Amino acid sequence: MKIENTKAQMRKGVLEFCILSVLKDDDAYVAEILSTLKDAKLLVVEGTIYPLLTRLKNAGLLNYRWEESTSGPPRKYYGLTETGKLFLKELDTTWSELHNAVTIVTSQKTPKK
Amino acid sequence: MNKTVNINLAGIFFHIDEDAYLKLQRYLEAIKRSFTDSQGRSEIIADIEARIAELFNERVQNDKQVIRIAEVDEVISVMGQPEDYLVDDEIFEDEPQASYRTKSTTSRKLFRDTDNSYVGGVSSGLSHYFGVDAIWIRLAWILLIFGAGTGILLYILLWILVPEAKTTAEKIMMTGEPVNISNIEKKIKDGFETVTETVGDVAKNVSDSVSNAAKNIDVKKTGNSIKSSSRSFFETIGDIIMFFFKVFSKFIGVLLIIASAATLIALIVALFSVGIADVIHIPGLDLVEIANTGETPIWLVSLCAFFAVGIPFFFLFYLGLKILINNLKSIGNLAKFSLLGLWIISIIALIIFGVRQASEHAYEESYTEKTELPITAKDTLTIKMVNNDNFNSDYGRHDNFKLAYNDNGDKVLYSADIDIIVKSTTDSVARVAIRKKADGRDYDSAIERAKNINYNFDFKNNTLLLDSYLTTHPDNKFSDQEVDVVLYLPENAVTYFNNSAKGHLNYRTYDGNIISRDDTNHYMKIIYEDAVCLDCPEENIKIKVNTPSVKINDDGIEIHSNEGHLKIDKNGIKAESEEVNLNINAEGVEIDAED
Repeated sequence: MKIENTKAQMRKGVLEFCILSVLKDDDAYVAEILSTLKDAKLLVVEGTIYPLLTRLKNAGLLNYRWEESTSGPPRKYYGLTETGKLFLKELDTTWSELHNAVTIVTSQKTPKK
Repeated sequence: MNKTVNINLAGIFFHIDEDAYLKLQRYLEAIKRSFTDSQGRSEIIADIEARIAELFNERVQNDKQVIRIAEVDEVISVMGQPEDYLVDDEIFEDEPQASYRTKSTTSRKLFRDTDNSYVGGVSSGLSHYFGVDAIWIRLAWILLIFGAGTGILLYILLWILVPEAKTTAEKIMMTGEPVNISNIEKKIKDGFETVTETVGDVAKNVSDSVSNAAKNIDVKKTGNSIKSSSRSFFETIGDIIMFFFKVFSKFIGVLLIIASAATLIALIVALFSVGIADVIHIPGLDLVEIANTGETPIWLVSLCAFFAVGIPFFFLFYLGLKILINNLKSIGNLAKFSLLGLWIISIIALIIFGVRQASEHAYEESYTEKTELPITAKDTLTIKMVNNDNFNSDYGRHDNFKLAYNDNGDKVLYSADIDIIVKSTTDSVARVAIRKKADGRDYDSAIERAKNINYNFDFKNNTLLLDSYLTTHPDNKFSDQEVDVVLYLPENAVTYFNNSAKGHLNYRTYDGNIISRDDTNHYMKIIYEDAVCLDCPEENIKIKVNTPSVKINDDGIEIHSNEGHLKIDKNGIKAESEEVNLNINAEGVEIDAED
């Protein structure tokens, strides 16, 4: 068991949820999503996000449009679909439940002392 | 000083140092191989390339600046190592665990190994695929070449259909080394992480999961882990089922290949023997030409037949190969459709040939020659069949045809399709009518063919000698030529058919025939529309007597006299006289005597 692996898996487990959350209000292109996630230290390398985005897009949770860029190749702007919004809402609930649960469990003093 | 190359990354133009370019290329290649097609590989790669282009763009101040290896390293560190792209599948369970699994199992692919080739690299490729030394495969080829050239054909087909191992990746896949090892190998080349660490990771992961599974079974720590271990149990069962399914489909593939290859080889042999023999005129095959009244060249017919039958079998063969070999090169749509087109054309051509051939038999016409025979009612006419040693030696009617040489050494077409029909006539003189029949496309050609039939008979000493065969020139082709010999005999004349005519005589009543094949070797007297046998043994005599004293009929015998009475019928025997009564019936024997 390597601590790095566990950390990476914990992060990646909630990555889908976070990507959807970033797109909650506004469409964004990959670099924007990346900067948000990297700022939050949720992502160390950028590579991880591409298969995820394609997965979410293929699952019908995301869609995208092309936009020309003045400094580089055209950008893919991702946005939530209706299914994506519902999906996100459900994940939101699950997350807050999970968050509560984890807080309770971790902050609990061990009964035998 | 460094050499640079120009690259187009997501539509943006970059100058890049050659070593940096190679590094970038290997990096992208490594990423590409960590995805499967089902995950949307090309789309992911396109996105990654676009992002790399963007990152380069940020690092390049003007168009003249060149991307060096430092920039590539920087970008790679931002993007992450190939395995950072991978972890995806391990976490998301609804995704098939393909990536991890294919990494650990060896999946060989068939390529042609042109590095170790004698001819096309097929043998060494197969040797990698089956894991045997190439020398055995080569020996097998040589053996197969002796097996009617099968080897050559199969070799050429594999040469065309199996792709060559061009890239290093393909060469690694060819030898069936696990892809993760090859990834590691790549990393050595690329100067990425140290090998040991990655190997250690992999080994650790594997041993962790194994020990976890073992623990789960023993201790059952949490419900979740039970779930995961049972999951893996069912997955194992699924794997086993899949394995058998794969073996079964490979078996079907092998069957398909063997069956269709055998058919194809047989067809090719047939094509060569008939088609080529037709062109260079091998003697024995003239028979085919003789039957071919449709005037279509034989080689064309056999070629069409070859395509009509061969193309479907070729596709079956291809299907079999495709089942066996996953990365089989496609023969291409152009080839597929042109084969399909060729097939349809062949079928249509065959239909046309068939119709033409059939139309040759549209008309059946006959041509009759009549000759009088000096036979009167008092004479006995003997009929014998005459054979020709050049032709068939046995007597009998056949409607097939053969080629032979006649007495003059000319090649003739002959047939034994001779029918003898005997009819009675009220004229005083006998006649023989030779009715020659043949088929043709139209009336004229049928008549022409009928006239070209040679048929002879001889008459001497009251004996009629009939040829047992007909001949015609081979140019007339075989077209159901036949001869009916119709004998008109005056009433009361006696005929004697030699046994040799047995096969040619028809049944009674066929076309008014009065002497059947059972009447040979007997003296037959002609009566009005019938003939009676003069020397046949009497058989099945039926006597009917009906007088007041004697009665004999189907019911039995009855005799009455003044003295007594005898009756034999289905009840038994009953005899009565004045003094004795005898009665034999189903109940027994009863005798009454006066004494």
